[in-house]
Amino acid sequence: MSQRSRVVTLYKNLLHLGKEWPKGYDFFRSRLHNAFLKNKDESSPENIEKMIKHGEFVAKEIETLYMLKKYRTLKRRYYDEQVARKN
Amino acid sequence: MSALVKNIRSLSKSSSYLRCFSVRPLTVAANKLRSAPKHTPNQSLFLTTTQRLVLPHERSYSSKPPLSLKLIADRVILVLQLYDKVNPEKLKLESHFINDLGLDSLDHVEVIMAIEDEFGFEIPDVDAEKLLRPADIVRYVADKEDIYE
Repeated sequence: MSQRSRVVTLYKNLLHLGKEWPKGYDFFRSRLHNAFLKNKDESSPENIEKMIKHGEFVAKEIETLYMLKKYRTLKRRYYDEQVARKN
Repeated sequence: MSALVKNIRSLSKSSSYLRCFSVRPLTVAANKLRSAPKHTPNQSLFLTTTQRLVLPHERSYSSKPPLSLKLIADRVILVLQLYDKVNPEKLKLESHFINDLGLDSLDHVEVIMAIEDEFGFEIPDVDAEKLLRPADIVRYVADKEDIYE
């Protein structure tokens, strides 16, 4: 898989993840677009590789964030507010 | 009273017809249609009773509405018009995304994703790179759906 197509796949994955972003999809999309655009002139393969790795890391982080959000919501359903706040 | 029944039937018929499209704006409209009678409590009560009594008259399963080249073109153009970075006045079937409409390659990826959502199938990256004009997309979708006229 060429580096270019890996970047495109990463961008697509991140966009899919951003659909449930708390502040809205448009917010996420414009930020993501700017983040990718900032490095558009990068040409050395090593640096691009590093950035792709970073992007994949960010994708994992977003996934974790969603799972945490889910967990907190569930917890709030099972315990009353005060207990949830204390823990 | 019978007029009311007819009204509600036609309403449910039209909404079930609309539901079989995958177009988001249309489904939203259909939801509005369905939720509209709930404002008057009398009518909503009536609606629930009829739904229990009357069997569903028309089952759409997951069949799609028949597509034609013109319909595909209209839907592609609609998707592109709703995309905020495209200027609707400059948009034509033959305009090039990057040269004429001023999109960058990331926007192009987003456009392809919107088209995937609209027509409900996935476009592989290899093919997506070649779809640089709305007309290309129309032809690609038509090929995928086996439409040749």
